[in-house]
Parts: sequence; structure tokens; C-alpha cells
Amino acid sequence: MFLALRELRHAKLRYALISLIMILIAWLVLFVTGLANGLSSDNAASIQYSSVDYLLLSKDGDQKITRSSLSGQSLNDIGKFVQKDDAAPVSIQMSTVENENKKIDVAFFAIDATSFLKPQLVEGKMFSNDRSNEVVVDRSIKEEGLLLGDKIKDELSGKTFTIVGFSKNQTFSHSPVVHMNVKTWSHLGRPYSKETMNAIALKTDKDTADKIERSYSEIEAVEKKQALKGIPGYQEEQGSLLMMIIFLFIIAAFVLAVFFYVITIQKMNQFGVLKAIGAKTGYLAKNILYQVFLLSSVSLLISNGLTYGVSFMLPASLPFVLSPLLALGCSLLFLGVALLGSVLSLYQVAKIDAIEAIGRAA
Amino acid sequence: MKAKLYLEKISKVFTDGDHEVTVLDELSLKVNEGEFVAVVGPSGSGKSTFLSISGALLSPSKGRMFINGKDLSKESDDKLNEIRLKNIGFVFQSSNLIPYLTVLDQLILISVLAGKDKQEAEVKANKLLDRLGLSHRVHHYPETLSGGERQRVAIARAWMNDPEILLADEPTASLDAERGREVVQMLSDEVKLRGKAAVMVTHDQRVLDLCDRVLYMEDGKLVENKR
Repeated sequence: MFLALRELRHAKLRYALISLIMILIAWLVLFVTGLANGLSSDNAASIQYSSVDYLLLSKDGDQKITRSSLSGQSLNDIGKFVQKDDAAPVSIQMSTVENENKKIDVAFFAIDATSFLKPQLVEGKMFSNDRSNEVVVDRSIKEEGLLLGDKIKDELSGKTFTIVGFSKNQTFSHSPVVHMNVKTWSHLGRPYSKETMNAIALKTDKDTADKIERSYSEIEAVEKKQALKGIPGYQEEQGSLLMMIIFLFIIAAFVLAVFFYVITIQKMNQFGVLKAIGAKTGYLAKNILYQVFLLSSVSLLISNGLTYGVSFMLPASLPFVLSPLLALGCSLLFLGVALLGSVLSLYQVAKIDAIEAIGRAA
Repeated sequence: MKAKLYLEKISKVFTDGDHEVTVLDELSLKVNEGEFVAVVGPSGSGKSTFLSISGALLSPSKGRMFINGKDLSKESDDKLNEIRLKNIGFVFQSSNLIPYLTVLDQLILISVLAGKDKQEAEVKANKLLDRLGLSHRVHHYPETLSGGERQRVAIARAWMNDPEILLADEPTASLDAERGREVVQMLSDEVKLRGKAAVMVTHDQRVLDLCDRVLYMEDGKLVENKR
């Protein structure tokens, strides 16, 4: 790419400015993406990262896990469709616990200690199904100064639990999840009971889920993705961040399109000369695309570096999760948008007539 | 002698609104090997149109044109592009060099466009620049050159692919008398040396004595002597 490289080298300031804009926009895109992702996992990690495929909810619950209520009978019936290991009942209740006069918002999850919903531990041990008042809590609660063996008191029921283990990636509605067995749960009194549950988590395929849904008039099978949207605030949060990201991409496309368009217009006479001395439109177009590709790639590399660099400096309380795969996807999309933005310029170049070079002083 | 450029009864008609303007009217011209022809005429007499058609940038309404005996009337746009690249050299008004290329790269670009070897091109370009007295300017950008130097680079660029004919559009327009003469002398020398042909459109009366023939553009035709 004879022309592209030499032009970049000669007009360093001009192209450095374009790169700077690209770096800033891409940086913002990556950062907001990481933030959206981080908030999502902060909000719903307990479901997002579990191996659940479908959640069985009651039909009157608007596909919201917290509003759903199933009877114990349902679980027995499900045994006809899936293996016992692939179905796990779960009950959820938002609550507030107290430790040394400090109040902490948490989410109670009542599960079978042996089911696939059991949390991954980073410290301590798992509670058993037969001992009551033992709980496993997400490690984010350690920021409140809690340690293994500490006691937390449920404000509503007045019951006290002992923390026997810490789990990771267990949050629900931005609160740490307190996992307990059904026995502990039923001791909390109304509305907590052994006989009802919020949902049954399933590891299964779509066909089986559909079959179950058809067999019971009061039950619906909701896909994990859909169930996440039912978590209070989840959809609103993700929706507004997604809108920002989409707008950033649109802005990037237009800013780059205008930049390259103006530069191309400025060089009309030059392109006319190049065409007159025998350069084909295809050759000139290739040079422009190569320039855009090169500028975007370098800008993206820098903005990825900045994003990851800054993410190390963020306080732990700011949720930021950006997997390399997601960053790569975002970068590729950005590159595509940049190339799309240069289409207008390519059209201009195609339109230029070599004849403009004749009889015209520069 | 062999005709390098031959225009046979070329007409060009432009439509302006609802009436037609005949710019070239059955114009014929033959330029032989080693010949340097000047075309003179007032503005608006059709000099630029004539040069555009000779340079295969514009197709005539009627008539045929030949370069080195090859009929170009029926060639496709792509083919014409290639013919321009390989057989026609252009020297434009105010040189029109590419601002971000060094003097050497201006010449190498022509070989790159033609898909030729870059190393070979560099040797050739250096030789050309040397002959045109530009060897001390090889790595300079056009903005640091004087007008005369720029026009000399443009001439070197035009010769880069060994074209059969060279077309010059007012090459002296931005130069003073002395520099203008120098540039035209150089054009003339190169034509003789290489056995090629050149046509120069000009306003500049002072350089006409350097040309083999002077033609006047009148009513869309070329005439040998001014009436």
C-alpha cells in the first residue's frame, strides 16, 4: 500500500487527531460494555453463572422469579420428565441481616445442599441438609467485615445463622446471596415453608421444557436469559447501558465518515491527477480502506490497553467485567463500523473523473 | 516516419441546456516520432478538450484516434486507464505532484501502478532525476521545491513508464520566463533523445521557437499558420 503508508507518514498530525478520536470513542465503548457486563453479573451472578438452562415458574408470576410460587407437589411430578439430579428447587427472599448493629441487604436462597445449584466455595465448608441455621454467603459480604464463624441475624424473623462458608459469584439484585438449606428456611416462619418454592431450576433441553410446560396448566418454563430479565432492575439497567453503547457505535460511524469524507473532498484534485496518470479507482479505494483499517487497528489496540489498564485501578466496589472475548468482539464491531464509515469516501473517489486534472491549476 | 499520435477527424459536441456547442470540429493531427508540437489558442478555444481527448481522458463524439498505430476508439474505460498508464505521459499545469510523496516516490509510484518491480524503478527514477538535474532533491517533498523544480519532477514522472507520447498542459504557466524556457527545452531534448512525441498546449509565446511545429486552435480546428 504505497500511497496509504506514505500519506500517513507525511500528514502525521491530521491522522493522529483522527486516531485520538477513535481511541477515545473506542475506549468509552469498551468501558461502558465492561460496566454493563459488570453490573449484569453484580445483579444476577447467582443465576447467570449457574448451569441452569430453564426455570419452571408459576404462570401468574409474570416470568419473574421473585413473584412465582410453586407447590411441593410440582417437584415430585417433574421427576417424570427429567432425572432427579437435573431438577433443583429454589426459594428466594430479599431480606436484611444484622451483624453487630450493621445492617446488610441480602438475598436468601433456600436450596438442596446436594443439588447443582450449590454455590462454588472459596472458603469454609458447605452446609448439610440436616443441620439448621448454617449458611454460605457470597464473599462480597467480607467487605462488611464478616468472617467465617460469624453470626448474622435475620431482621424479620429474628433467627440467627452461622456463616460456615464463603462462595463466589453469588449475587442477586446487587445483594450477596445467603445460601441455606430448606430446614433453615422453614424455621423462618411465614411466608417461608417447606411446601412452597419460587422456582425449580432445570438442566434440560427445549423439547423437555416445552413438554413440561404443556403438561401443567399453572407452570411455565422460562429460559435462563428470560429469567434474568425478571430480576428487579436488571432489564432497566442493561437497557440504558445498551442504548449508550449503540449510540456510541453510531456516533463513531458518523464522526469517522465525516472525517474521511472531508479529507477525501480535500484531495479531489489529487485523485484526479492520480487517475489521469493511470491509477484505477480500485487501487485508490484499497489505499483508503487500508488507511482506515490501519488507523482503526492501532487506535483499538491503544484503547484496549487503556481500558484494561484503568480497570486495574478501579475500586473493587465498581463492577467491571470485560472478558477478552467480549473486548475482541467489540473491537471487531468497531473496526467494521469504521470501514463502513469510509464507504462515503469510496463513493466520492469512484465519482472523480480523471479529466479534472486537465486545464486546472491546483 | 511513424506517427506516434494520430487524430482522425475528431469532433466533440457538448450539450449546454437545449443547444449544442461544437468544441472540436473534424480536427485532424498527426505527430511523428521525435516531433514536438505546440498548440496555441485563446482560452475557451477547446485546447483542454483537445488535450483530454488526445490523452484518452475523454472520448470524442466522432472520429478516431490512434496511439502508436493502435485504434483507441473502441477500448473500454479500464483498458484506456492502462493505456494512459503505459503509453501516455502527462505534465499538468502547476505540476500537480502528490504532496505527501518525495521526489523519488513520485516517480516510483508510476511503476507501482503499472505493477513493475520497485528496485528497478528506483534505479530508473534516479537516472531520470539525475539527467533532469534533480539528484540533490531526491528525498525532498514537493512543498520544498521551487516551481521550476516541481515542473521538472513532473516531466521526469511523465517519462517514467517510457510513454509513446507526452502531453503537456501549460507546463510554463506558473514559471518565470527563464525557468519556463528551461523546462520546455528539457521537454524538447527528451523527445529528441528518446524518439518519442510530445504535444504541448500553451499560452506562452516565448517558448514557441523551441518547438518543431506550432499549431493554432481556431473554430475547433488546428491550423499551421495564423490567419
